[in-house]
Amino acid sequence: MEKAKINSIQFFLLLFTFELGTAVVVGHSVVAKKDSWISLLLGMGGGLILFFIYYALFRYYPSLPLTAYARKIFGTYIGWVVGLLYTIFFLYVSARNVREFSEVLVTATMPDIPLFVVAILFVLTICYVLYLGIEVFARTAEILGVFLIFVGIIGNTLVYLTGSVDLNNLKPVLEFGWKPILETAFYSPMFLIFPFGEVFVFAMLFPYLNRADAVKKIGVASLIVSGLILSYTAALNIAVLGVSAVQRSPFPLLSTVGKINFLEFIQRLDALVVITLLITVFFKAGIYLYSAVIGIVDLFRLKNHQQIILPVGLILAFLSVVIAEDFAEHTEEGATVHIVYFATPFLIILPVIMLIIAFIRHRFTK
Amino acid sequence: MKMKKAWNKLGKKEKKHLAYTEDMELKSDYKKLETNLEENLKNIQDTLGHSADLVVRIFKIGSMSGRNAAAIFINGLVDKEHVGNFIIDKIMNDNSKLKSSTAGTLFTGIKEQIITVAEVEETQEWKKTIQAVVSGKTILLLDGWDQAMICPLIGGASRAISEPSSEQTIRGPQESFVESLQTNVSLVRRRIKSANLWVESVTIGDITETEVAVMHLEGIANEKVLIELKERLQKVEVDELIGTNTIEEWIRDGPRSVWPTIYNTQRPDVVMGELMEGRIAVLVDGTPNTLILPATFIEFFQTAEDYYMHWSIASFLRILRLVGIASTLLFPSLYIAFLSFHPDLIPTPLLISLTAQRQEVPFPLFIEVLLLELTFEFLREAGLRMPKQVGQAVSIVGALILGEAAVSAGIVASASVIIVAATAIASFTISNHSMIDAVRILRFIIIILASSLGLYGIGLGFIVLIAHMNSLRSFGVPYLSPFAPLIFRDLKDTFIRVSKPSMSTRPRLISQKKVSKAGNTDKLGPPSGRKGGMKENDFQRDPNEN
Repeated sequence: MEKAKINSIQFFLLLFTFELGTAVVVGHSVVAKKDSWISLLLGMGGGLILFFIYYALFRYYPSLPLTAYARKIFGTYIGWVVGLLYTIFFLYVSARNVREFSEVLVTATMPDIPLFVVAILFVLTICYVLYLGIEVFARTAEILGVFLIFVGIIGNTLVYLTGSVDLNNLKPVLEFGWKPILETAFYSPMFLIFPFGEVFVFAMLFPYLNRADAVKKIGVASLIVSGLILSYTAALNIAVLGVSAVQRSPFPLLSTVGKINFLEFIQRLDALVVITLLITVFFKAGIYLYSAVIGIVDLFRLKNHQQIILPVGLILAFLSVVIAEDFAEHTEEGATVHIVYFATPFLIILPVIMLIIAFIRHRFTK
Repeated sequence: MKMKKAWNKLGKKEKKHLAYTEDMELKSDYKKLETNLEENLKNIQDTLGHSADLVVRIFKIGSMSGRNAAAIFINGLVDKEHVGNFIIDKIMNDNSKLKSSTAGTLFTGIKEQIITVAEVEETQEWKKTIQAVVSGKTILLLDGWDQAMICPLIGGASRAISEPSSEQTIRGPQESFVESLQTNVSLVRRRIKSANLWVESVTIGDITETEVAVMHLEGIANEKVLIELKERLQKVEVDELIGTNTIEEWIRDGPRSVWPTIYNTQRPDVVMGELMEGRIAVLVDGTPNTLILPATFIEFFQTAEDYYMHWSIASFLRILRLVGIASTLLFPSLYIAFLSFHPDLIPTPLLISLTAQRQEVPFPLFIEVLLLELTFEFLREAGLRMPKQVGQAVSIVGALILGEAAVSAGIVASASVIIVAATAIASFTISNHSMIDAVRILRFIIIILASSLGLYGIGLGFIVLIAHMNSLRSFGVPYLSPFAPLIFRDLKDTFIRVSKPSMSTRPRLISQKKVSKAGNTDKLGPPSGRKGGMKENDFQRDPNEN
């Protein structure tokens, strides 16, 4: 753990950019079709419940990161292994994010540059900022988060000014009933986990917040805000492009923004989407990497995170390239292996078990 | 920080003391003054190497005692008329009050009754005497007595207060600091008539013994910053102090960063404003530049004129300057990135016109822009150092002949010339020179990033830049505050400037003590109830009026 403090606004913006990371740009093979925005809202609701589980765990150990309180809950040895598994999980998810970002960047803007170059430069940038410390990272989130909000406002205004929004594309609501919606929210693509359940990684960062009592408020606020924005974006994509185009497009937001044509001059603003993606994924992958790194520092009792940030970062860069052959395989993995074998146990089952054990331990030691 | 420690561990380097930073040694190693006048005079002459500008005036005290006295000073540093009128004349002619003729009583008699100089000091020490002579004071020695009287009748030629060469204003005061420290301190003190304006003096420079004044407003400035500043000033080890930059480089945070972490100005009214916000000013003798700390990024975009204009136009100009710096940094690189990496993102008509212009250009875009940027830097540097008359010729050759000819010969595209010129103009909107310099360097780095990775390179560069600025602190204050960490209340004087009555609080991180500016302004808004003859009702319209 560094000796650092993050204030509420910074923490909110970290969570906010984290939630939007990739989710706002990358499309999902959506079962719910035109009602996917409702699924997102439901997923957000489920995400809030998950968040309260994480929050309850935090309340038991307000000054410890996840890897440290795992040892308190499971005992030194099993807890250490659990901590290590989480660390590896975080690194893996970070690699997934870097991969997704690199893929979008390469396909959308610069097809001539090798994927690995994009990934390694991105990771090196993250490493540099994390090397400067979590405080600097959080303050950077403050500046870039506000910048992001501006980009969002500009993008939205232009989409409406272009006049390509057709709300009829969203009708009829609930055409196929609730089943596909629930399925999308809580099964296979699972909005519950991606992006809402992922907040669990912040269990590594909660102790940095300067006011422990604000965790709940900030967490709930940012989950709701980002949930609403994601749901709104999904609806906007469908309203602009129509369901079939959204389902065919790997990055629907890019296509939506591509429709912008204001005064026959302001057009092809794909750059705005790429910037959004760059900033959000920068923070998302950065938070995962940082959590993995301070997890390692905690588990192996190292002195500080600066020593290992570069080696771990390089592993991350390589990992991001080798985890999948191509983007199709990557998405496939994301929908099946990642969700079923990694995310569900690490983000839902284990936290619940930990909460139960923590509850029992506290009840019987008193 | 951590890395620094690691380096030290590797290198185990001791701080080297160069021979040339050792204490100044006098040619003679006397400790005290002698009683014999002639011996003293000889010693002084020897110590100063019989310098041509040393004046030794020997005269007799009045008519009754035959004792010799001598006034010693350096030609050009003292006000000779004053030395003549208030020392030599008084002692030679106005000696009726002197009764005794022993050396000791004569000495105190002269001091207490004869000479009419406002400030007199006595000393026995050799080094102090010599120091007084070389710093422009007049020494009075008396035969048969081993003490010297030091009379600071400093005069000589110095520049008169004039308009500032940069940072000019239309409605503001037209004064600028000069090279004399006393004048500069008085310029500030004239503006802040408060007992809480404290001035402390330090001498820095082992040989030059330059006087440095630290000014702050007691009770408003942050004491921790003050203590930190004094500690850092003590660590300055130089032989010579030339201007403020030497101090700045010794005491600044982030010494490797291109961003200026200490503000500098030549305007006394700016110093006043900064002091009122709780900052600390460091004035150095011999330069009109004044250092102000702690500095934040946004401070470099606040000009004096902002506070002499209506707040709406001031805010507009602030935003304009911020857009200016962003353009300076990003314009050429965005141009390169879009044209050579993402032509598909440029609107078609624009793309057609741009490519048509570049059809005959033999260079890759990167080389073309770099050449133009370098030419512009040549022009700027040439214009700056040349005499004014030649400077004009340089700009004519540069702008008209080079630019025009290069475009018509098809060596560069006119779009590139426009971009580089626009960048140059944008860079001139920033009034602070150290900020312009930082951006000048960074612009090239971002151009290189853009030409190798396109928009992606610019994006990464931008993130690194923001993170780097976030890692900087100036005397404990985060460089990007009040943006990061965000302090809503302090945004009122950043990219916008709200009207003065609404600006009732000081920046929170600067003066961490007394935040409210005037005692009564807890609520924002225009001043309430006037105490003069006019009541608020007077502003109401007369019912009989149409």
